[in-house]
Amino acid sequence: MIGERVTRKEDVRFLTGAGRYLADLRPAGLKHAAILRSPVAHARVNGIDTTAAKALPGVVAVFTAADLKEHSRPLSHRLAVPGIRPLEWYCLADEKVRYVGEPLAVVVAESRYVAEDALELIELDLDELDVVTDVRASLGDDGEESAPLLFEEWGDNVFYAGGFANGDFDAAVARADGVLRETIAHHRIVGLPLEGHGACGHFDRTRGELLLYSSNQQPHNLRTVVADVTALPLEKVRVIAPDMGGGFGNKQHFHREELLIAVVATLVPDPVTWSADRSESLTGSVQSRQQEHDVEVAYRSDGRVLGVRTHVIADLGSPTLYFSSIGPALITTSMLPGTYDIEAFEYRLTGVATNKPPMGAYRGFGQPQANFTIERVMDLVADATGVDPADVRRRNMVPDAPRPYFSATGNRYDTPSFHEQMEVLLDELDYPAVRRDQEEARREGRLVGVGLANLVECSTANLFGFCSQFGGYEMASVVVQPNGHVSINCGTKSQGQGHQTIYAQIAADVLTIPMSAIDVSDGDTALLPHGMGTWGSRSATAGGGVVLKGTRQIRDKMTAIAAHMLRVDGEEVELSEGTFSAGAGRVTFAEVAHAAYLQTFLLPPGMDPGLATIASLDPGLADPFPDATGRMNAGSTFSTAAAAAVVEIDAGTGQVVIRSFRIVHDCGTVINPLLLDGQIQGGFAQALGAVLLEEVVHDAQGQPLTSTLLDYLIPSFSDVPRVHTHHREHPSELLGGFRGAGEATTICGPSAIANAVHDALGPLGVRVLQTNLSSRSIREMIRSAGVKPDPFARALAS
Amino acid sequence: MREIALLVNGEPVSVEVDPREHLADVLRDRLGLTGTHKACEQGACGACTVHLDGTPVLSCLLFAVQADNRSVTTVEGVGTTEDLAPIQRALSERHGLQCGFCTPGMIMQALDVVGRANGGLTPERVRHEMSGNLCRCTGYVSIVDAVLDAAAESSSVAAVPDNEPTQAEVSG
Amino acid sequence: MRPARFDYLAPTSVADVVSVLGADDSAKVLAGGQSLVPLMNLRLAAPTQLVDINQVAELDFLRVADGDLHLGALIRHRRLEFDPEVARVAPILAEAAGLIGHPQVRNRGTVGGSLAHSDPSAELGCALLALDAEVTVQGGTGRRSLPIAELFDGFFTTTLEDDELICQVRVPGTVPGRGWVIQEYAPRAGDFAVASVAACIDLAPGGGCVRVRAAAGGVGPTPIDLGSALGELVGETELSEGLLRHVASRAAEVIRPAADLRASAEDRRDLLQVLLVRALPAAWTRAAGSLSNGGAR
Repeated sequence: MIGERVTRKEDVRFLTGAGRYLADLRPAGLKHAAILRSPVAHARVNGIDTTAAKALPGVVAVFTAADLKEHSRPLSHRLAVPGIRPLEWYCLADEKVRYVGEPLAVVVAESRYVAEDALELIELDLDELDVVTDVRASLGDDGEESAPLLFEEWGDNVFYAGGFANGDFDAAVARADGVLRETIAHHRIVGLPLEGHGACGHFDRTRGELLLYSSNQQPHNLRTVVADVTALPLEKVRVIAPDMGGGFGNKQHFHREELLIAVVATLVPDPVTWSADRSESLTGSVQSRQQEHDVEVAYRSDGRVLGVRTHVIADLGSPTLYFSSIGPALITTSMLPGTYDIEAFEYRLTGVATNKPPMGAYRGFGQPQANFTIERVMDLVADATGVDPADVRRRNMVPDAPRPYFSATGNRYDTPSFHEQMEVLLDELDYPAVRRDQEEARREGRLVGVGLANLVECSTANLFGFCSQFGGYEMASVVVQPNGHVSINCGTKSQGQGHQTIYAQIAADVLTIPMSAIDVSDGDTALLPHGMGTWGSRSATAGGGVVLKGTRQIRDKMTAIAAHMLRVDGEEVELSEGTFSAGAGRVTFAEVAHAAYLQTFLLPPGMDPGLATIASLDPGLADPFPDATGRMNAGSTFSTAAAAAVVEIDAGTGQVVIRSFRIVHDCGTVINPLLLDGQIQGGFAQALGAVLLEEVVHDAQGQPLTSTLLDYLIPSFSDVPRVHTHHREHPSELLGGFRGAGEATTICGPSAIANAVHDALGPLGVRVLQTNLSSRSIREMIRSAGVKPDPFARALAS
Repeated sequence: MREIALLVNGEPVSVEVDPREHLADVLRDRLGLTGTHKACEQGACGACTVHLDGTPVLSCLLFAVQADNRSVTTVEGVGTTEDLAPIQRALSERHGLQCGFCTPGMIMQALDVVGRANGGLTPERVRHEMSGNLCRCTGYVSIVDAVLDAAAESSSVAAVPDNEPTQAEVSG
Repeated sequence: MRPARFDYLAPTSVADVVSVLGADDSAKVLAGGQSLVPLMNLRLAAPTQLVDINQVAELDFLRVADGDLHLGALIRHRRLEFDPEVARVAPILAEAAGLIGHPQVRNRGTVGGSLAHSDPSAELGCALLALDAEVTVQGGTGRRSLPIAELFDGFFTTTLEDDELICQVRVPGTVPGRGWVIQEYAPRAGDFAVASVAACIDLAPGGGCVRVRAAAGGVGPTPIDLGSALGELVGETELSEGLLRHVASRAAEVIRPAADLRASAEDRRDLLQVLLVRALPAAWTRAAGSLSNGGAR
């Protein structure tokens, strides 16, 4: 079944409205929570008066930080690396609020309506403080007087400061024909799963057990954190992640609200549920991507890059986030060299606190910024030298041998040839023809551009590097029922990726039984000792790998039973189409299962009855922390891609239309091309949104201006063209040969689009040094280049 | 609170509601029909689309009292596990859903688009008519394909689900 | 995100609606609800009394009389988009309706509701201003009719009294030789227009322009009448690039744009010119086409 375009096992429940998402869960006696959030971006909290709210009929309880302190432990990012500030905070803001939307109080009531009524009755006594929303101002680099401090005890707003050097950048500059110095701005966006985050908790007082449902990508790790925060014994906490309406990394974190609901559930008699409404998810969830890269590039006139030095300044917002808000930026710096062989590579990384929501994970986890900057650099070098962008890439590409190749920052590329991959792309694109068409279009006064991007994508990391706990392994239970039906439970957590289907495909291949005889479940800590969840393209590699391992263990035991039943040696037994056979002897999968449980006298002497295993697999290779030189291999394996975008821009309106987007993609062994294409296409929509539509905007007072889906624009039906996808399959060294998929277009799509936009705007003298390419930004860039918008600019053909 | 009478997926229902309750909440909280999802509460995403007397409406912008004496069709009234509607089958075959959260709203709008197609649907028309439904997972093209497939399959079939009553049946 | 508590009434006659509005000045009319309810969900609007007019049958009509289109306040945008009579008598309205929000919004949103909401970026108000529509309202002191230009007062405000309800809109029907256009710029299909223009150009059988009516949306506190700016087209027999550039820049001077998330004020002036340069030739060509085929659409 591996490699086949099978439709999904999970579809029918979603298609009939029978999916069970968090807000669909209705335990008896359910109460509803609503959260009072800070209306200002920076203030000292003098007091919160909840008297009137508590008196409102239908209100069960109201809690503030003061009420919860004795019932909970503080949260912390836990990450213990040099250069980072230790930091603790509570579920509800305590002495200060540091961004608009920070939770201050929680109401539990008979309905969400009443709970929200009660929020209006809570009186806040806040002393407003000066606000800082810009990283340069926060660092005091803007020449203004000293910035307000988010955490006075630090003495500045620097949450993290680190650096790394490989080779000698100054020597590279001395040898170079030219040096580029630019700042590339990565703007703030949000992952925005359509279902916001949330949790539903119920504490059984008699047994002292907490059951927490949460829309979370890492239910097992969340359990560890919940036990920590509630001070309940781990074995008394059960976390269930039900069907999830998307995650995209936003639900990878352990949100304050989830932990708040866990704590509150221990204090009220009935189950309590809370789901983020859209405004809460746009203002009070994690946000992503915002960084500034000061980049210096030493290059030769033939386009060869001799060295890159960069200062990555990450705008962390308020870094009050469990598993640290600096995580994505660590990967940005780690992956910055990309597919290019850059020996002299230095970076500084400064993580800066500002009065905005916490920076967190979003599909790609820091890699989109890395890819954008290095791919922008390649094109800027092309501009500076007059060498074609494809040739600049050829001259800088990581050589085809040896493998593994170790990047400047220590990443271990186990990849096939990047050269060959790009040449396949350029052939399929017919790059010379596209360039000729572009010339023709320019003669007609049309702004047409072509952009390339190469991708090497870190997959299957070790969590320890980002939160100083947890790991990179995965677990799965495989149980053959007495009737031969197979039940698999995995520690990954599907948020829509289709794990039920792909794991069943893998198991069906090993066990040679139909997928309909295999059930896959996930997301319940009671069913498996541990699991790392789904993030970082790890589910095919770690999850698929452990399912492969577990089903093989079961198959081997069944083969031994079958051999005994058939009175032959194990090596003589073949399993195909659900039947064990040796010569003329045959015994079916179900018969072996039956024997294993119900006719145990048929088992080989000494063999234990039953067919069940809890398998675990560590794909390995990914480092848990950097070595003494600062190098760290962040991935167990790496996927690759090469992409090209062709765009046309309406100089009148600034609208960018993507005429074509093509990707050559290699994620090793493909499990299900139908689902993989869906990941590529869906990831592309998010890439397009990230550069052309989406932008989280805060005003100078830190007030969010994009708090509904009328203001925060995500791609809609008419915005997203069909991606042309070509999958190549170079299996990895990992079990199953998988490399991990799902993030490629999200990571390299913005780069390819931006390069194409830069190329298109070349005739107007516009240079693209930012990820925000909304039509408004394009109009502003054209104006900044000194070009008055021409009302006669040619409109685009639709 | 006031009592309202609804015909929900062909079944008469009476329920006490507060006038401020969204139809979406009454469907979900009172009637247990949790297939209808809320994802923006601003009329900007289409996830809560249901049919009111056969017309797609946003149930986060409609108060349940406004549906008094009218018929409401939700995704639960469209097809069953054993007998999926053409749009439901097509969405699965085209992989037009991932997390599934937007899917019920997509289905309710797509039924209307297919029903009014008159054989004249183009991909552009589908994109235009579905523009009020947001999906964060798929990148849309698979949904466009599915709607076109369903339209092709349904071209000779009545577009309204069998169990969706006419206005006359409701008032009568 | 749930609305605050309110009392709900659903009268069945205009008279009853008006008397409720007269009795309670905090009462708010609920028509399609596609603008009001989003605000209520955010509790940015929290009326204590909601008057649902959806059961007022006398507001639900669409007819052509004396060549004009008469629209009851409860006519939904979706009806305008597809009704053959609208396409025949006021084709610009059909196209304008198709630009309003999304299909589900158009299924509920009403003519009266859109006008009463008075969003300056609304397509309907812009088109109706270019069409010189007339609005009839009823209040405690009776019925009155006013040119649509006198309805809009400012951002989200009208000149209506608290007890007045928009009952109907009369839209002058198109005539032979009239070309029309509505164009807008929005980031995505269905988004609020950052800037929009609606225009009607009348050409005489000889080919000269005899009348121009135009309005712009999203570029001021109300839809802006561009009639004076475009007046120089009258008498011209050809829409030259120079003339187009000239009237477009005149139009950019009469608007009163504000800055928001989507565009600065300067940006809106530029966008308006882009739209006019693209839109006016389309209206002119339609007008010429209308003449040559004897006045059919």
